Amino acid sequence: MKALTWHGKEDVRVEDVPRPSLVNPSDAIIEVTATAICGSDLHLYHDRVPSMQKGDILGHEPMGEVVEVGSDVETLEIGDRVVVPFTISCGACWFCEEELYSLCDNSNPNAELARSMMGHSPAGLYGYSHMMGGYAGSQAEYLRVPYADVGPITIESDLPDEQVLLLSDVFPTGYMAAENADIEADDTVAVWGCGAVGQFAIQSARMLGAERVIAIDRFDERLDMAREHGDAETINYEETDVYDRLMEMTGGRGPDRCIDAVGTDAHGTGVVAASDRVKQRLKLEDDRPYVLREAIKCCRKGGTLSVPGAYVGRVDNLPFGAVMNKGLTIKTGQTHVQRYLEPLLNRIEAGDVDPSFVLTHEAPLEDGPEMYRTFNDKADGCIKTILRP
Amino acid sequence: MATQDTTRDRQPGDAQQPDRAESGDGRGRLRRAITLLIGGVLVVRGLRRRSLRGLVMALAGGVVLGRALGVSPSRSDSESATPMGAGESTEVTRSITIGEPAQDLYEAWRDPETMSKIMGHFADVQPQSEDRLQWTVQGPRGWDASWETRIVDEQPGESIVWRSPADAMVPNEGEVRFSDAPGDRGTEVTLTISFDPPGGSVGSAAARRLDLVPEAIAGKALSRFKSLVESGEIPSLDENPSARGSGDLV
Repeated sequence: MKALTWHGKEDVRVEDVPRPSLVNPSDAIIEVTATAICGSDLHLYHDRVPSMQKGDILGHEPMGEVVEVGSDVETLEIGDRVVVPFTISCGACWFCEEELYSLCDNSNPNAELARSMMGHSPAGLYGYSHMMGGYAGSQAEYLRVPYADVGPITIESDLPDEQVLLLSDVFPTGYMAAENADIEADDTVAVWGCGAVGQFAIQSARMLGAERVIAIDRFDERLDMAREHGDAETINYEETDVYDRLMEMTGGRGPDRCIDAVGTDAHGTGVVAASDRVKQRLKLEDDRPYVLREAIKCCRKGGTLSVPGAYVGRVDNLPFGAVMNKGLTIKTGQTHVQRYLEPLLNRIEAGDVDPSFVLTHEAPLEDGPEMYRTFNDKADGCIKTILRP
Repeated sequence: MATQDTTRDRQPGDAQQPDRAESGDGRGRLRRAITLLIGGVLVVRGLRRRSLRGLVMALAGGVVLGRALGVSPSRSDSESATPMGAGESTEVTRSITIGEPAQDLYEAWRDPETMSKIMGHFADVQPQSEDRLQWTVQGPRGWDASWETRIVDEQPGESIVWRSPADAMVPNEGEVRFSDAPGDRGTEVTLTISFDPPGGSVGSAAARRLDLVPEAIAGKALSRFKSLVESGEIPSLDENPSARGSGDLV
């Protein structure tokens, strides 16, 4: 089959690889009909995530048609149209029972490796390094889906792929980010990063009752989208000092809730940001926590900082004294996607939300490498791309 | 997952020396700095290699780093960076919490089929009788090692102890204990394995040649046991596709 594979920094290719097959009794195989490129795929593209191997298949935002099911699979049948969450979860461990699906104890075959790096292993993910499971990704014609009764949600309605595909990751991720922000009535929520996750965090903050949402980015098309679809006020951080502007907008209080929808590849300005870039190149620092630092500085005393943006390792110069003395709460984690699938699908079906507004590009899988370049360069107004295998 | 480690590297003639006292003086600090350096180099080199050996190297480096920094769940009473050296015995203890009752776990552990599944990552395990298992490990260049273990003590629902004969190729012993975890969390399962108990330098050489890392063996065996009893299967990368081919060609 054809698949998009990783070969190192800014080197992805479309190659012929073996087709996956059923391995465990609860596996299913789906024929992928649509799969998106995620902002976090760019962390892999930049070679920021440890334990990648040349030839690994990327992709973790898939939907498709069930073509094979293992002997223990009860809820899926051949021919079902499904969206597959990026988190692989067994459904049986204590964490899954608590609906903390991205913390599943059983789904990472390389749990020992993750444990040596982080103390404990989170759930396995598709196409996101060997430490995070080593499972082949979804930017391919076929995908093996372990624990098929726990992850995929069947789409019974005739909603187009564009409206349901983003249930696999970015819509639930933006929603959980807003939920983690503990939004209360009259709250002002600031969202750093207006990519797909940021856009859904903005939408979800509104759904959860935020009074005002302030969106921060440097690309006009993303800020326009946040204004148009999320009724957000906007700050272009290349034009204005974010702290000064936020204080001005909130009477000096600062936003009550801050969401870092950027993560490890943040672009900052000034000397500190330049120093982060150098340290990262010298492998003295894994992440560039520019947004994290700024959000800590800006957040209202006693406020909440929610971090859906992906970080991979160590950060430097984190002002933890400010976190402590300002009494901030930090909430984060990979998304417990399975928890949100049904409620968010219901909202899409009811017409409350149409997630397709973030989609800017569509291309056949063969054009994947070019689409990674376009997305990476933020060229052509690219915010979200669907690949069609 | 909820795991905890206590690893002891016993060295003959160096029994209960409290190493902690040393960490305050210059020698201790230098040793710690060197350990940190070695750990860091292993992690970075290992991750850069992008191969199975590289990952193993990174894993070992991570363990070394974690110990030196005192942040890893692997705590070592000594600061030795090599878990298994000449003339040493290595004993490792790992714990995991499994959401099933102790009695069920005891019975599952006692089933030879379970053993062959959960130890499959390093040994082929065949039942010889109710209390005896035959273990075979494939070493490099077709060099195999094989030994028998026999259950020497057990308390149903609580513990099982097994041991190889003293003259086995790789002398070893093991113990698994089951105790209730708080609330609805199930059972805490603690596995202790020891390769080459004191006195067997020949066995130690064999263990080294086989690249047996007790910490990795114990950790993986417990993870696999937990996955099997909780979810009915062990997560697998068999036939996992990539541009390198089919299978877990890490």
